Amino acid sequence: MVLLNAIVSGILFGGSLALLAYGLNLCFGVVQVIHFFYGQCVMLGLYIIYSATVLWHIPLIVSCLIAVAAIIILNVVVQLAVVQPLLKAPMINQFLALASIMTILENSAMGIWGATYKGVPISLPVLTIGEIYIRTSNLIAFVGCLIVVGLLYLFLNKTYTGLAIRATAQDKEMASLTGMNPRIVYVITLALVGALAGVVAAFFVPIYPVHPHFGGPFTVMAFVIVILGGMGNLAGGFLAAFIIGVVSMVVSFLTIPEGGPIAVYLIFLVVIVFRPQGLLGVRERTG
Amino acid sequence: MLKIEGISASYGELKVLHDISQEVADGETVVTVGPNGAGKTTLLRVISGVLKPTSGAIYFDGQRLDGKEPYKIVDMGIAIVPEGGRLFPGLTIYDNLKAGSYTKRSRRKFKQSLDEIFSSFPILKERQNQIAGSLSGGERQMLAIARTLMSRPKLVMLDEVSSGLAPKIVTDLFELVKAIKSQGYSILMVEQNVKKALELADHAYLMESGRLQLHGTKEDFIQSPHIKKAYLGI
Repeated sequence: MVLLNAIVSGILFGGSLALLAYGLNLCFGVVQVIHFFYGQCVMLGLYIIYSATVLWHIPLIVSCLIAVAAIIILNVVVQLAVVQPLLKAPMINQFLALASIMTILENSAMGIWGATYKGVPISLPVLTIGEIYIRTSNLIAFVGCLIVVGLLYLFLNKTYTGLAIRATAQDKEMASLTGMNPRIVYVITLALVGALAGVVAAFFVPIYPVHPHFGGPFTVMAFVIVILGGMGNLAGGFLAAFIIGVVSMVVSFLTIPEGGPIAVYLIFLVVIVFRPQGLLGVRERTG
Repeated sequence: MLKIEGISASYGELKVLHDISQEVADGETVVTVGPNGAGKTTLLRVISGVLKPTSGAIYFDGQRLDGKEPYKIVDMGIAIVPEGGRLFPGLTIYDNLKAGSYTKRSRRKFKQSLDEIFSSFPILKERQNQIAGSLSGGERQMLAIARTLMSRPKLVMLDEVSSGLAPKIVTDLFELVKAIKSQGYSILMVEQNVKKALELADHAYLMESGRLQLHGTKEDFIQSPHIKKAYLGI
């Protein structure tokens, strides 16, 4: 029964991870930069929601919207001020630039909110189905993230803007020759990617208290999922998110709490050595 | 309609186009022939805005277009079928066609354009939900041409539309270009298949080593001793 509970919480956790990985993947697939402060966006979102609700007494829903808007703006500003000028720079320069933003965000959070845990006091009931216990907050995050993934999928597949994003990901020059403006496509992509991080933050409010280094593990976890699923492969990333969610929860339950992350990274190492194209990936893009 | 005046262009230090001047009149088919590496593709890249010229000017319907971004040039009515078709291989045939009608001007007529394309190319209609990467070489070129027509261009530029394809498919593609020509589109073609290209041409240019060596009508070209010897094998 402990095992079953672990599997259920792993699947629920996988929902949020899928959304995070979707964002990271979208950013890599379209703009071809690695979003190195993605988890830190979630961290910042949690702090904004905390300040807005606890300190300024703004209703929770409004606070969440403010956080999503703030993270969208942050990502758009980074795209225009940092990523766009570095698009043709060596990958290592992009990497270092985005890693410095990560450090700036973490230290700013430390300076503004301090090193202690901060959280919004919300207590949601625990559901019991037979011998399985499900925290309502986890269930809401799971369902909410899946709905957002679905909406994003519809946006990408049914609108002209979504088409421009997918076409630019495939062939930027050809996309511009059909009338798509790559600069605008990039800005819209980063806005979407920021919105996803903001949404994850909103769903995390009742689950986790936040601290300045909260984001790091999520950046890395999302990164592991993206590699497992195959870079730029949205379906692969979706599947990998649930594998990682379940593995980390089950191993933690069966061994020690630290066992989960260790198992995740062992799988990651095996995949990156023996199947670098990812679980569902193809070795090379054709065409 | 299209007027190219003294265009030069380089890739870094390497100068590939030297003082090129060309014209395409309304409804006319102009063919640029020449050997591999002569700069024919580069000229189309300059016109479509992907490569900025180092000097010279290009006018389209009296409006200057050199220096403009590719997405603005498409909107002005110039669309290109790049070499090899360059489809979006992971997108469906339908989405490739929809991408063709991305500009505001063509988006309004998307349904109408799609109906026209589907009635001319029934195979694209049948297979509209398959990904473009699953098509054969000839079908890819067909889709690439159809995608270009979806933008409702005034001038269609074709870059080596026949390269690397079987003779039967090459014949079909030239028939298709002929059909497009008869619909009144202006066409600027770059070709290595000199014989077939000249059959469609109103005017032709010969480009060698980045310079225009010869300009004339189809008849001028067919009778030119240099063209006969070097390109037609007579």
